[in-house]
Amino acid sequence: MIKIKYENVVKQFPGSDHLAVDNLNMEVHEGEICILVGPSGCGKTTSMKMTNRIFEHTSGHIYIDGVDNRDINPIELRLGIGYVIQEIGLFPHMTIADNVATVLVEKKWPKNKIHQRVEEMLNLVGLDPEIYSKRRPSGLSGGQRQRVGVARALASDPPVMLMDEPFGAVDPITRARLQNEFLRLQEQMKKTIIFVTHDIDEAIKMGDRIAVMRYGQLVQYATPDDLLSMPANDFVSSLVGGNRSIKRLNLIKVEDIDLYRPPEVAEGDSKTKVVEAVAGDKLGVALVVDDRGKLVGTVTNTDLKRKGEYVKDIYAPAHDLVGPKSTLRDTLSIMLGYGEGYALAVDQEGKPRGAVSVDDIFSAVKDNE
Amino acid sequence: MNRRNLIWIIVSFLLSVATIFYFVNYPGGKMAARLLNFETITKAYQQHILMVFVASAAAIIVSVSLGILITRPFFSKWASIVDNIVNIAQTIPSLAILALFFTYLGRGFSTAIFALWLYALLPILRNTSAGIQNISPGIIESARGMGMSNLHILTRIELPLALPVIMGGIRTSVVITVGAAALASFIGAGGLGDLIVTGLSVSRNTLVVAGGILSALLAIFLDQVLDLIEDSLRIR
Repeated sequence: MIKIKYENVVKQFPGSDHLAVDNLNMEVHEGEICILVGPSGCGKTTSMKMTNRIFEHTSGHIYIDGVDNRDINPIELRLGIGYVIQEIGLFPHMTIADNVATVLVEKKWPKNKIHQRVEEMLNLVGLDPEIYSKRRPSGLSGGQRQRVGVARALASDPPVMLMDEPFGAVDPITRARLQNEFLRLQEQMKKTIIFVTHDIDEAIKMGDRIAVMRYGQLVQYATPDDLLSMPANDFVSSLVGGNRSIKRLNLIKVEDIDLYRPPEVAEGDSKTKVVEAVAGDKLGVALVVDDRGKLVGTVTNTDLKRKGEYVKDIYAPAHDLVGPKSTLRDTLSIMLGYGEGYALAVDQEGKPRGAVSVDDIFSAVKDNE
Repeated sequence: MNRRNLIWIIVSFLLSVATIFYFVNYPGGKMAARLLNFETITKAYQQHILMVFVASAAAIIVSVSLGILITRPFFSKWASIVDNIVNIAQTIPSLAILALFFTYLGRGFSTAIFALWLYALLPILRNTSAGIQNISPGIIESARGMGMSNLHILTRIELPLALPVIMGGIRTSVVITVGAAALASFIGAGGLGDLIVTGLSVSRNTLVVAGGILSALLAIFLDQVLDLIEDSLRIR
């Protein structure tokens, strides 16, 4: 079903002689992430911001659920659309809880319901309300602020969300984690999302459909797969880059491939047991799990040289694990970063799911082509 | 709590008390003693503080409203004009302002209040508009994008965020007004300036020194109290 429709939309800013958005025609399907991507000044952010009338379009129509957005009072329109912008725009004078509650307060929810909802939202994005709700944005890391921004936009459960580089200002590892968490949420929420980015890798990873824009015009509107295999023109192919098979790694997630499972040992097991396990494994590694089944570390031949009677004395703590939503590209870069021939995957509870080796990545790309 | 502020507040208060006691006990002559007694000094303080308070309060009300008004999009054209007018008012020496209004409004308390009020406007107006304009546009845009009305953007976002800056303007303004109010004695409005003006006209140095020290200490005291308030409003 079509949720948002752009029909001959034109935007010319006052005093400017060129069109910021030049005759945009596009349909966004319900429950999909539509990515607007392109170089700066291509009109992607302007297109997004016309959707909730932060900018008013010069001509044309934008329909949401078949209703022209000019026929809706702008305040009402915006209250029904989640909004996350670049640098997040958290209110520095308000606590995290008050930030998340913003739209709920505007919608005049009763106090106790707001409180409950805020806690729910903070838990949803992985921030403990006990610790964070009374803090101010300055007391949070960049990644945590982005989470708050997402929680704030989701608080009133709007069916549509507009996101302008929501994961922009963080380091690549945090960004990958935020992206994965967001995709996991989206799987349950099924929001209709318009997502602006200039990062084609992010577009391929996050998008159900990608709209490539240039000079205010829509150049190509396609699924990530089609965009990679059938770029409409030279501009699109240069945007997606020469090494398309590497980009394709962004399309495949760890959960999509079969994983090899190395042997597991418990922290309390004896060293003799783990020597056998490591010797019998093709990657030469044994996974160490705690009493709740969570992956805490690994034992390889190097670790076996350490002194100690039990596994807990010798294992190396686990680092940089990949989750089910991690892409093979993230996985590969973790492998390269640590110089290992494999990366370990865990599920959402942190229980081991297996190991992804370089061979797995090769064969996954081959199958996908 | 800022220790430095607290120390200055206590020191300036104690020094004022000590100064009053010293000059009441050693007025330096019978003529000076007529003014240097607890009753007269208390009255001078009352007049001085009342002048500063009324002029500042009126300036805060007018300047903050004007500052809010000129930062609204539809008034932005007027911003520089208003700013210029108030800027020019500020360049006129305070004694000249008092003298000008004295000519038209006559002697007395209300003339002094009016002149001091005019003089106190600029720092508050400038800080109000700067405080609002300096808020990152992203913050305002995300508030608007989430469906906040213009009134809520002003009351829930702009004013709270600009408050520390506005408070800074109020502080500057109050300190200026304390100084200018000492001159109000020339047009018969009373205050601590009475000690100085009388002292000068009858050549009694103790009066001049006492008035000078007390009004200086009052300025330091109020400056530090307001600094303390400004500090507590700062967003961390």
